[in-house]
Amino acid sequence: MKVFPAQIWRNKESLYSLIAGKCNKCENLFFPYREVCNKCGSTSISKVKLSGRGTLISYTMSYQNRPGFEKTTPEYIGLIRLDEGIEIVAPLTDVTGEIKDNSRVEAVIRRLKADSSNGLIEYGIKFRLVEDENR
Amino acid sequence: MTEVLIYDASMIKVDRYYDKNLVDLVAESVSKLNSIKPDAIILANAYSETTVNQVLLASKISNMLGFSGFTSRIENGDASGGAAIQTAYYMIKSGLVKSILLIGVEKMGDFPTSYLNEITAENLDEKFGYREGLTLQPFAALQMKQYMKTYGVNYDYFTQWPLVMHKYGSENPYAYLKFQVDKKTVEQSQIISDPLRLFDTSPRADGATAVLLTSDEFKPEVKVKIEGVSSSISEFSTLSMPAVKQAYSTFREYKADFMEIHDSYSINAALILEEMGLEKGKSLNMLDSIQVNYSGGLKSRGYPGGATGVYQLAEAFMQLAGTFPGKRAQGEKGLVISTDDLGTSAYVIGLRRC
Repeated sequence: MKVFPAQIWRNKESLYSLIAGKCNKCENLFFPYREVCNKCGSTSISKVKLSGRGTLISYTMSYQNRPGFEKTTPEYIGLIRLDEGIEIVAPLTDVTGEIKDNSRVEAVIRRLKADSSNGLIEYGIKFRLVEDENR
Repeated sequence: MTEVLIYDASMIKVDRYYDKNLVDLVAESVSKLNSIKPDAIILANAYSETTVNQVLLASKISNMLGFSGFTSRIENGDASGGAAIQTAYYMIKSGLVKSILLIGVEKMGDFPTSYLNEITAENLDEKFGYREGLTLQPFAALQMKQYMKTYGVNYDYFTQWPLVMHKYGSENPYAYLKFQVDKKTVEQSQIISDPLRLFDTSPRADGATAVLLTSDEFKPEVKVKIEGVSSSISEFSTLSMPAVKQAYSTFREYKADFMEIHDSYSINAALILEEMGLEKGKSLNMLDSIQVNYSGGLKSRGYPGGATGVYQLAEAFMQLAGTFPGKRAQGEKGLVISTDDLGTSAYVIGLRRC
């Protein structure tokens, strides 16, 4: 068994819904959520659900993998500036054509890995390109 | 005020030792050391739980060496060596401990790349990056792309680092990849994470090294002292290394003659050198004018995980003692910069021959 339910359940707010922390004292916004502000040390932190939308600053095609992730290799990995101002590195998905600089992206849930063909599955967030954001 | 001296240092060649376990490697390294009985043993190691399925490692190694006093393992990922040096330095500086055997050891050569990536990915945040299946290489690739865009350089610029490192490493008998390379080999090497190629990365391998630190109550043959140690941490950043900048700020006026820096990727070398004052976007054009990584660096000497910082300290000591068997640096002041793979945890150590 490589997928452990407690680990996945504990991280559900990072992996499924992009919950960030906002410091009530210095207004520092950070992801993933933690109970202490890493700028001012305050423990007065609010949970903020990020929009999941952002701009792709840069990307790379990664040919390296880890056990359990072979099926998604090679994979585009993006440097994304979320609309709330946080920069994260995360996998891209559903890329079919050319990727342009400053493309808009949105978070979607995708399968990350599984214990076996009929074992436990681990899900998480990936980002896909948004062609027409106003549609 | 107590001075912290380096009494002696030893190392084994960074390599793949399929016939030896982690404890065997330490025994081989320590056996070459001109040693005295230390008051404490500090061990730098990052990945033993995963690589050799062992914890309680400092106790086991100390027991193997016939030592029963204070011992502790320092783990801070690939910056474990720097963290262990700082710990040992503070202990002797405090006056409570007079001598410390500092050991760096790692066993990473047994595994295929995929599993090695699984081990090193433990450096990423468990809440997101690790669980998402990321590896460290795309982070370095993204740094490279941003650097190329910002400073208007192409891939050609980065080839300078592996060419120089392999030239130096070819003279170092302790180097893992002890051969020179040409530009075509670098340019045509396997793409790891576009534009990062194989020769922009450093080979993970096995290694063990030992450095004996003492207070100035001891009288070593050559007097090399540690002038100071400084450290800092930061978030991952694409165009800078704030942790290195902060840690180095203490040494800005030190004017080191030579240095050993943590070049886990060519881009890291560029960013570290630029945080030390070299012109941004041009640092790798200036390698002829600075004495950097005469060991061959992580690129050619090899990258033994958490032992790396202790290797760097041993190499800098050997340079100052005049015993380094490879390319010799000139001068009396050296600097070691030990970081993790992405430069978010940095330790700067200043050494001087007196």
